[in-house]
Amino acid sequence: MSGRGEVGEVGAFGELDGLDGLGGLGGLDGVDGVEELGRSGDSSGAGAFVGVAETAEAAQAAEATAEAAETARAAGRRRPVTARRAGADPVKALMHRHRDLCERAVDPLEIAAGLEAHGVTDRTAARFRHRDVFSLAEEMYARVSRDGESPPRPTPQEVPRARADWILLSLLPGALCSATVVGLHLTRGRARLTVAALGVLVLALGMRAVLTRGPLGTRTRAHPNATSTWTYWLLACALLGDGLLGTALAGGPDGLPDGTGNAPWPLALAPLPALAWACAPAAWSAHLFAVRARRKLAASRGLEDFAASVRPLLLGTFALFLGALTALLAISGTALDEPSPYAQTITLGALLLLARLLTVHGFTHAPKVVLTATAASQAVALASVFAARLPGCDLLATPVHTLSDTWGPGGIQTLTCGLGALTLLLHATRTLTRASAHTRPGEPT
Amino acid sequence: MDNRPSRHRLVRIRSSRCESPDQRRLPRREIGGAFVRIGLLTEGGYPYVSGDAGFWCDRLVRGLEQHEFDIYALSRSERQEDEGWIPLPPQVSRVRTAPLWMAEDDEVVYGRRARRRFAECYGELAAALCEGSAWEAPGESSATEADRFASALYGLAELARDEGGLVGALRSEAAVRALERACRAPGAPGTAREARVPELLAVAAQLERALRPLSLDWYEDDGLGSVDLCHAASGGPAALPGLLARHFTGVPLLVTEYGVRLRTHYLTATQAAPAVRALLTAFHGRLAAETYRRATLVTPGNAHARRWQERCGAQREKLRTVYPGMEAAPFAEVGESPECADHDTLVWVGRVEPAKDLVSLLHAFAEVRREEPKTRLRIVGVPSGPEGAAYLGHCRVLAAQLFPDEADGPHAVGDNPVSFEEIGGPELPSPADAYAAGAVTVLSSVVEGFPVGLVEAMFCGRATVSTDVGAVVEVIGGTGLVVPPRNPRALAEACVALLRDPERRARLGAAARARALELFTVEQNIAAFHGIYLEIVSRTPVRRVLLDDTGEPLPFAAPAESHVPGSWTERGAGLVARGGPGWAAGPPVRGTSAGTSSPGISPVGGSSVDASSVDASSVGTSSIGASSIGASSVRGVTPVSATEGA
Repeated sequence: MSGRGEVGEVGAFGELDGLDGLGGLGGLDGVDGVEELGRSGDSSGAGAFVGVAETAEAAQAAEATAEAAETARAAGRRRPVTARRAGADPVKALMHRHRDLCERAVDPLEIAAGLEAHGVTDRTAARFRHRDVFSLAEEMYARVSRDGESPPRPTPQEVPRARADWILLSLLPGALCSATVVGLHLTRGRARLTVAALGVLVLALGMRAVLTRGPLGTRTRAHPNATSTWTYWLLACALLGDGLLGTALAGGPDGLPDGTGNAPWPLALAPLPALAWACAPAAWSAHLFAVRARRKLAASRGLEDFAASVRPLLLGTFALFLGALTALLAISGTALDEPSPYAQTITLGALLLLARLLTVHGFTHAPKVVLTATAASQAVALASVFAARLPGCDLLATPVHTLSDTWGPGGIQTLTCGLGALTLLLHATRTLTRASAHTRPGEPT
Repeated sequence: MDNRPSRHRLVRIRSSRCESPDQRRLPRREIGGAFVRIGLLTEGGYPYVSGDAGFWCDRLVRGLEQHEFDIYALSRSERQEDEGWIPLPPQVSRVRTAPLWMAEDDEVVYGRRARRRFAECYGELAAALCEGSAWEAPGESSATEADRFASALYGLAELARDEGGLVGALRSEAAVRALERACRAPGAPGTAREARVPELLAVAAQLERALRPLSLDWYEDDGLGSVDLCHAASGGPAALPGLLARHFTGVPLLVTEYGVRLRTHYLTATQAAPAVRALLTAFHGRLAAETYRRATLVTPGNAHARRWQERCGAQREKLRTVYPGMEAAPFAEVGESPECADHDTLVWVGRVEPAKDLVSLLHAFAEVRREEPKTRLRIVGVPSGPEGAAYLGHCRVLAAQLFPDEADGPHAVGDNPVSFEEIGGPELPSPADAYAAGAVTVLSSVVEGFPVGLVEAMFCGRATVSTDVGAVVEVIGGTGLVVPPRNPRALAEACVALLRDPERRARLGAAARARALELFTVEQNIAAFHGIYLEIVSRTPVRRVLLDDTGEPLPFAAPAESHVPGSWTERGAGLVARGGPGWAAGPPVRGTSAGTSSPGISPVGGSSVDASSVDASSVGTSSIGASSIGASSVRGVTPVSATEGA
């Protein structure tokens, strides 16, 4: 057993042993005195006589110290060190000294390793009437009372905080898009084309910035651009597709779009600013979902509990985003003085948000498939209309005709995006409610 | 050197030297007519500059130039990889590395059958971890339980080999679900039953990390399948590839542990939640037990490691203590001329840290000064880390308080009797000079592993006074004085006894040097491993076809040997059917008592509990005799000792 530990323990019982006597009573005071004298001797420097005199004093003081130590030592000898242990339960004292270790240990070997790290050897264990440290540790492990109190909960994982950089960043696409639209309204002819091209480029860069950091950024750098092609395709369809489809069904198009709503190939400009501004609510809802899910993760007891508590959270966040998008659409329609295609845009926004949420949480496969399928079906619908103009292929356009007759020209887009969003929503309620979706891979937990 | 990019993305190979991939790799070296190639498995170690056990692996590889080495290294961090390798000798024919610190999901999506297979194996693994509520020593756990863990482990490895994608599967929800089911199962220990979702996720992440070696592509016939012997330089992650190579291709495994990995795990993993620690220690314990069970031989570095290994289920007949070797040459000059010592000086050499208990040494020195006022103490060492630096400052203050400066005469400049120095200065250019400066070397640690400084002092032929910690008694044998730790008075009395008796000092110093030269030289270490390699290879028939220089199969290259699966000559173990009674599976493995089974511990050391100091001079000769007996069984290269279990 360790000597130093003994000293502390004995102090608690109000005794003094030999070592303490040496250190506390005689020893230290005397030594302090000697040191002071020695220092003054140093400072006097060349004064040899003073130095000699003080050295003599120092020697006396040292003798006094030695005497004090002698007395203390004799006292210590009179009371043998081992006598203190007589009668008490030595293992209990040991357990008290290592109580942190004992309470923490999950098996006897952990106590054995901890004891050895504190210098307990087999020969020390022999003093506790044990053959080796292992059997001593086993006794200590068995004697620790583990009933009653549950272990203290570990500190909850730190949740990502809302930070100014991504909040501002998520507003960037909306601002850029609005600026572009204003530019389009203010310019004519070739300048308008330049503004449009520049706007598209800047908007793409802004989106890229949003999708690399903040709550919409992917944690793994594995496939940053796997779905972006299809995303841009879908956005282009939202902008141009309806007009193209409408004119194609009517026999057109007879010219390129000129950026207004009443040209031969009309553009639907209202969805684009709304979707761009919707990056902000999307980032917020993704952040909200991540933070709340982390909190629920720390609080839930089982995987089923967690899934049950996260599902309403997911649906709530999703609904919040849809509400925000609708409001944005209304504002954008009013500002641009255009009718807002609510159904297409909301389904498209839902699809994009769900795809992003899934990607952010590590499920890249399903979004890729669904986005590809949606974009492909829209492309097929367009192509079928044009293909029907070939002789003998009239039948090809029949489904598209039927659909647009029933629901208007936006029906195709609504249908495809809606189906895709629904698929992803079902998928998300299954995958995003898993606990493993809310850990970061590679993060040592 | 073979440098083929591996098929799995997990394995990244960076190396400096290459040979063309289609070049045939023939074993170029032979021992005793047999071609021998050794696969050295390291983790965060050897070929890297900042490796842990780099020194002894390097000495081993350089010392055994008649063997051919393939090195399979797991790196521990990106920084370690960037720092590069140490220069490798020509007998290293191939180096393959893999990072343990990162794993990329290879995007393999399992089909239904593979998913079910994974769920079964992982569920078994989790159940094996949660088995046994009163988790006793792993050595005492039943054979069926160990079988369960092993079959789950090998099942996962086979899955990784057949399908890949294990990293993703280990991170998936199925893994967490299996863990939860195992933790909630009846019979699971209380700590595991309390596991909540964050804890389950943490366990799954840690298991994924620990099982990364399963995804390596080292286990093909041109990888670890082509070596004759796997030598794992440490337990734990480094031994896992060896286990799998043994499972897939039947390569025998030799495990060397200078520090027991399981014990390191216990000491380092103290921060996590109890449920996480319970499951992870169960995993590491079962892995260690499985390693010891499957290894052909296990070589602990000292009796302390040996006790832990026995406790974790290693069979005694598999254990051969091989002491770490140290260079004796730098100390030869000092060791041969003992008269150069300063008669009144005590020396302490080592890294300054609280575990060395310099405070107790200073208190002891205060008592020594009372008896022998002319004595000086030289503390030689650099602090390790900020804690060590703070401790060194504390010790300096204490020394200044305890001992005033003193001068030879009234006109001389004084000096403190305790001096703090560092090796490398003009006064002490080398460690040998530090030991040479003193008559007695003192070791005052309260915690110690294998005391390197003590061995160096023994090489220098210095009498030593040391505390009874770690492997000290085993190292010193009877050739120095041993006192209980944290007992300054006993330390002082032993020092005074030696200071007053130059003859005894010389006698003990000579005995210590003889003992160190016998047991702790590099040569004995290399000779021991050479013998162990030979012994293992001689018991393992060559089962693959050997090719000659032109690539044609060599007929009769390997002797026709019959191979009986399992070790039927050993008592018990192989004969018990699965599910048989646990007590028949082998002799019960208990902690050893010092002196009876550990060859390194001399009987003198065992009796030093109550005696404040052990005077070894009277029994010096007998204990030296005992130590040489220990040495012969330590080397363990004779075939007689190999088959004594029969």
